[in-house]
Amino acid sequence: MKKSFFLVFCIVLCMLVSFQVVAQDDVETVVLGVAQPFTGPLGSFGTDFSKGIELAVEQMNAELESAGVNTRFEIASQDTEGTPEGAARAVQTIVQTTGAQVIVGPLTTSEVLGVKQFADDNNIVIVAPASSGLPGAIPDDNIFRVMYPPDNFAAKAFAEIATLRGYENIAILHMDDPFGNGLAEQFTADFTAAGGSEVITISYAPDPVDLASEATSLSAEVSTLTGQGSTAVFCICFLADAQKLLQVAIVDPVLSSTEWMGIENLANPELLADAAHADFLRNANFISVSFTDRGTPLAAEFVESFTEKFGAEPGPFTNYAFDAANIAMLSILIAGNDGEAVSEILPFVSNHYIGTAVQAYLDDNGDQAIAFYGIYEVSPDAPEFTLVGTYDGSSGELEIAE
Amino acid sequence: MPSSLLIDSLVRSLQVGSLYALMALGITLTMSVIRLPNFAHAEYITVGGYTALLVSFGLSNNPLVVLSLSFIVAALVALVSHYAVFRPMEKQNTSTYTMLLASFAVGLILRYIIFLLVDRFELFDKRIQVPLEIWYRNNPLILTNIFFWVVASSIGLVIFLSLLLNRTPLGREMRALANNLELAKVIGIRVSRVKNLTWLLVGGLAGLAGALWGMYSTVSPLMGWFAILSVFAAAILGGMSSFPGTIMGAYLVSFSENTVMQFLNYYLGVDFNFKPAIPFIIIVLVLMLRPQGFTGFFDTARGLRR
Repeated sequence: MKKSFFLVFCIVLCMLVSFQVVAQDDVETVVLGVAQPFTGPLGSFGTDFSKGIELAVEQMNAELESAGVNTRFEIASQDTEGTPEGAARAVQTIVQTTGAQVIVGPLTTSEVLGVKQFADDNNIVIVAPASSGLPGAIPDDNIFRVMYPPDNFAAKAFAEIATLRGYENIAILHMDDPFGNGLAEQFTADFTAAGGSEVITISYAPDPVDLASEATSLSAEVSTLTGQGSTAVFCICFLADAQKLLQVAIVDPVLSSTEWMGIENLANPELLADAAHADFLRNANFISVSFTDRGTPLAAEFVESFTEKFGAEPGPFTNYAFDAANIAMLSILIAGNDGEAVSEILPFVSNHYIGTAVQAYLDDNGDQAIAFYGIYEVSPDAPEFTLVGTYDGSSGELEIAE
Repeated sequence: MPSSLLIDSLVRSLQVGSLYALMALGITLTMSVIRLPNFAHAEYITVGGYTALLVSFGLSNNPLVVLSLSFIVAALVALVSHYAVFRPMEKQNTSTYTMLLASFAVGLILRYIIFLLVDRFELFDKRIQVPLEIWYRNNPLILTNIFFWVVASSIGLVIFLSLLLNRTPLGREMRALANNLELAKVIGIRVSRVKNLTWLLVGGLAGLAGALWGMYSTVSPLMGWFAILSVFAAAILGGMSSFPGTIMGAYLVSFSENTVMQFLNYYLGVDFNFKPAIPFIIIVLVLMLRPQGFTGFFDTARGLRR
């Protein structure tokens, strides 16, 4: 009796397991690669971006299950360390260990360029949510920079602002990488074409220990240029670098009596957390240009879901990573998990996608073609940035309430 | 070259050199007494920086309080790393090479713990809340409170270390250990106690330097790692055993990175991107031309005068 009961039990168990195996075999798991900087100066962005991607995958899987579709996505992450070499290693590792054909990331243009060769040679699709450097604007490759527009629009916006404010000369401090070099170059061209006189540039190596030497040189150059006409400083730096720069600038008599412009990394409340820095930027009539999404019904939902899942609101541009992941997954669902096919279909998917931010309409280089910017200044009454105008990259229309 | 550029760069050389001296003295102490080139030293600096950050946010932005707590916390972290990793390895008579690799590992573990905590508590891109003030101005010479804190702390600690090593029983015991470990054991020196105190001192110096560096610049999980190359260059210039040599090395490295770099940029148009290469060049030149660095240099000079 006991023996036969045991035998029946084993048979039932085997049947249940085999049903489970059969059920699992029906579900196709597709690996979505995530290559972001989890360490290094951009670690805060990278970790937040990966959370946005995780949320996108979770929601997509839930919808697929609900719809009875037997495809599920799984994330394979690697740390790019914020460097081109790290990004290349990260993408190669993901592809070689998991067979992923589509990677969401990396973050910066220098990292994207670092993975380009491998991606193009192996038909791996790179969906970069926030890269905007001009050297990355390359047609007919496997790189799609779907959310953030390339910097030629921002350069033009800054050039128009500089002209409107009557600056004759500009002293640029920029990081020496594809992003910084590209924006500085494009701005110089646009500014001089619009009637600007002289532009001098000082570059610094990424991840500087401090920027005191560069700030001293900048001060000397500004002092010279000021004698030739109205001069402003244009800071093309990451936030941490700007904080180092301001530590020196706030005690420099020349830099603290000059007007400043800065890229959107500087339009960050963290920069105003230090009261001395906030006062400095206010007195410097600091102005910044930042890509603005018009907001969609999904934006609030995204923030709510993200906060519920991770216990904190998403950081800047995290929604772009969320949207980039959705574009990648939708492309895979349509074309299959094949890099070449995804590369063909992705522009179509992207052009018809409106996520949390704005329509992701791609140009011939596979880059975001819609560029609508907000213009921000430091509020006179509080340590915060306020919107004072807009710039439409499509029409070139600049509006500032000065 | 405009006087403002020159004066600015000299002030900076002095300020950064003082910071490098604080960081490098710890490495020299570790090398001479513990006989370990400790790459985890970079992370002790970072621990000091983040301690200063948290204290300035949550407790007090009084520089004395900030610096004291940074010293204490980093000292304890150094002691824990000694008890957890280096002491057990010493007891097994592990080679210096293996200990060096272990110090890399300890550094990496600390670094990524710091990254975890910084991410968890959203401490990226935060600044130490000790306000920057101008304490002396006579254009183009401008000196801030941070400058005085850094230079005064460095001078004070150098004097303290000198007195400690030359005038106290503990200092004599440290020097005995540095000269001959076996003999020190034979004559009854409590080696374990001396090493523990050395680790506390090394960690504390690094933590103090990290706090001051964070006030001078910014705090990041890689701040110690970015500075360590220049710091090792200073220690190598000092021959890894001479304290006066290390201090001189620190100021020489800082002078090269700041004033010399300013000259190169102004007169020859050399980009500031070249600055990170300077400590590498110093290390290579020293190892090629005078591997012992400044060790024996001061004694030789005194001998020549006689």
